Amino acid sequence: MASLPKRIIKETEKLVSDPVPGITAEPHDDNLRYFQVTIEGPEQSPYEDGVFKLELFLPDDYPMEAPKVRFLTKIYHPNIDRLGRICLDVLKTNWSPALQIRTVLLSIQALLASPNPNDPLANDVAEDWIKNEEGAKAKAREWTKLYAKKKPE
Amino acid sequence: MDHQITTASDFRSTSIPNLYQLDTLLRCHICKDFLKVPVLTPCGHTFCSLCIREHLNNQPNCPLCLFEFRESLLRSEFLVNEVIQSYTSIRPALIDALKIQKPITDDDKIRKPQDSSLIELILESENDDSNTADDDLQIVATSERKPAKRSMTDILPLGSKPSKRSFTMFRSERIKKKSKPNEQMAQCPICQQFYPLKALEKTHLDECLTLQSLGKKPKPPKNLNADLKSQDKETSRPKSKTPETDKSDEVSHVDKYLNSIAKEEHQRLPKINFTSMNLSQIKQKLLSLGLSTSGTRQNFIKRYNHYEMLWNSNFCDSLEPVDESELKRQLLSWDVSHNKLPQNTNNNGGISKLMMMKSSGKSSSYRKLLENFKNDKFNRKGWIVMFQKDFSRLIKEAKLKIKSSSPNGSDLTKHIHDDGNEGKLQGVQETDVQQMEEGQEIPLTEKQEVNEINFPNEDLTDADLSRELMDMNEDGKDPPGSD
Repeated sequence: MASLPKRIIKETEKLVSDPVPGITAEPHDDNLRYFQVTIEGPEQSPYEDGVFKLELFLPDDYPMEAPKVRFLTKIYHPNIDRLGRICLDVLKTNWSPALQIRTVLLSIQALLASPNPNDPLANDVAEDWIKNEEGAKAKAREWTKLYAKKKPE
Repeated sequence: MDHQITTASDFRSTSIPNLYQLDTLLRCHICKDFLKVPVLTPCGHTFCSLCIREHLNNQPNCPLCLFEFRESLLRSEFLVNEVIQSYTSIRPALIDALKIQKPITDDDKIRKPQDSSLIELILESENDDSNTADDDLQIVATSERKPAKRSMTDILPLGSKPSKRSFTMFRSERIKKKSKPNEQMAQCPICQQFYPLKALEKTHLDECLTLQSLGKKPKPPKNLNADLKSQDKETSRPKSKTPETDKSDEVSHVDKYLNSIAKEEHQRLPKINFTSMNLSQIKQKLLSLGLSTSGTRQNFIKRYNHYEMLWNSNFCDSLEPVDESELKRQLLSWDVSHNKLPQNTNNNGGISKLMMMKSSGKSSSYRKLLENFKNDKFNRKGWIVMFQKDFSRLIKEAKLKIKSSSPNGSDLTKHIHDDGNEGKLQGVQETDVQQMEEGQEIPLTEKQEVNEINFPNEDLTDADLSRELMDMNEDGKDPPGSD
C-alpha cells in the first residue's frame, strides 16, 4: 500500500488539535486511514443529547475518492439505513477533493438536523416520516435515548 | 520537495497570526500543501497541476465550485508559482523571526522588502505599551552591542535622513528587543559577522557554508550593508541585493517570472478514447511512448492516462520540466503501487528496462524478483538480501528519529508486566531483537501477543530494548504484588 499522504497526516493533526465542536475523530492505532468518530446530535433535533458512533475510512484514492462513512450506532433517520449507511450527496456524486474529513462530518451533523425523507435510503422510515412526522420524530427520540445515550461523565 | 509537514496554524503563535490567511491561500485545496506548479481553471480557481489533472481524470469539474471544464483549458500561473517559491524559501525564517521576537538579522531584513514594514509594525505595537525612556536608556547603557547598533543604522528607512528622535527610539527599541529573550550574539566562524546565536545555528551557518562551497567569498558585512544601502537608494529596485545565497534566489524569482515562457518543445499528449481501440492498437500506442505493456487492457489504459497526466503536467505547466526518463520512473513507481498487475506477467517494456538500468549489476535477479512483486510467490528473502543495505540504513534512520522524540519505554514495560507471563513474552522479545537486527520478518505465531509487543518494539532503540529486558529480569526475581 502506498504510504500515508501528507494530506491525511495534516488533516488528522488538525482534527486532533482543533476539533469541531460536538464531533470527535480519532485515527486507529494500527490503521491511520481508519477513524473512530462520534457526533453529538444537533440541538433541537430528535437526536439531541445523543452521541452517535461512526466509522470512517479513507480509501487508497482519497482525496480523489470520498471517504467511506457508516453509522455504528442505531439511528432512526430516513437517510440512514439499518446497516448505518448514509445517503448524502457529498459522499457519493458530489464528492470533491476540496472537501475533507471535517466538512464531511459537519455535513453528516447537518443531515441529522434536517432529515430529507424525499430522497430516502431507509424506505420504511421515510414513509413513516412523511405520513406522520411527529410520530417519527418521537420514535427517533426514543431510539436516541435507547441506543445513543451519552455516557455519564 | 520539502518533507516537513507545515500547516497554516504555524502562524497562530507568532506576533502576526493573520499571516495564516496568506499561508492558507498559497495552498492547494486538494493536497493541502503549497501549490506545486499551480494552474488556473477557467472558473478562476488554482490547484497543483498534478492534483487537478488527477481529479479531472475522475470528474471533469472544479473541486471548489463544481464548474465543468476540460483539462485542456488549464493554464499555468507563472506568477503564483514564483510567489510560492519565494514565500516558501523565506517562510521558516519568517516564522522564526516572528515567533520568538528575536532581532531580525541583517539578511532577514534585506531578504524581503516587506519584512521591514512588518518589523516596524511590531515595533509600533510595542511602543503602544509605552515603555518609559528610562528603561530604554538603561538597557542601552547595560547591553550595548556594537553589531546591533551598526546594523541598526544600516537598515534605517532609506532615503531621507531620519529625525534624531525617531532614530533613537527605533534603536533603543531594537536593542531592548535584542536583550529581551536572552539572545546571545556569536561570531560566524566563516564570514566573521555577528549573529544572534539561534539564527547562526539554524540558518546562517548553512548559508555561509553553501556560499563558500559555491566559491563565492562573502564580502565583509559592513561594506556590504553600505553597498546595499547606496544601491537601494540609487535604483529603488523592488528586490534588493543580499549578501546571502538567497540573493541569487530572490533575484531569480523575479527574473524567472519575467522570462517564463510556455515551452513548446513537447507536444501535449492527447486524451484517447480507448473504447474504440483494440488491444494491439493500445499496445502500439504504449510502445510508441516507450511504456511497459504488461498487464491487461485495463492496466494499459490506466497506465496511459497516468502517463498522460504526468507528461502534460510536466511539459505543459511546469517551468522546469524533468526529462522523460524521470517521468517514466515516476510512472513505474505508481504502476507498482496502484496499477495492480495480474500474476506472472513479463515486464518487457521500457519501464522495467529502465528500472534494471537503475539497479545495474543485479539486473537479472532484480527483474526476476519484480515479476512476482505483487503476488504470493514474491521472494522476500531475495528481496531483503538485495536491498539489505538500504533497509538497514532506513532502520537506522528511523531509530535515530525515535530516539530524539519521546522515549516511551516505561509504558511498554508496564504493558508487558500486566500480561502476567513474563517468561514467555520475554522470549518472544529476545527473538524479536535478533530478528530485527537481521532485518527479517518475525514469524506470527501468536498473533495477539506479537501484535501487542511487536509494535512498540519497532519504535525502540537497541539500548531501550536491553534496558527493557533488564527491567523485566528484575521484575521476574521480584514478582509484583508479592506482599
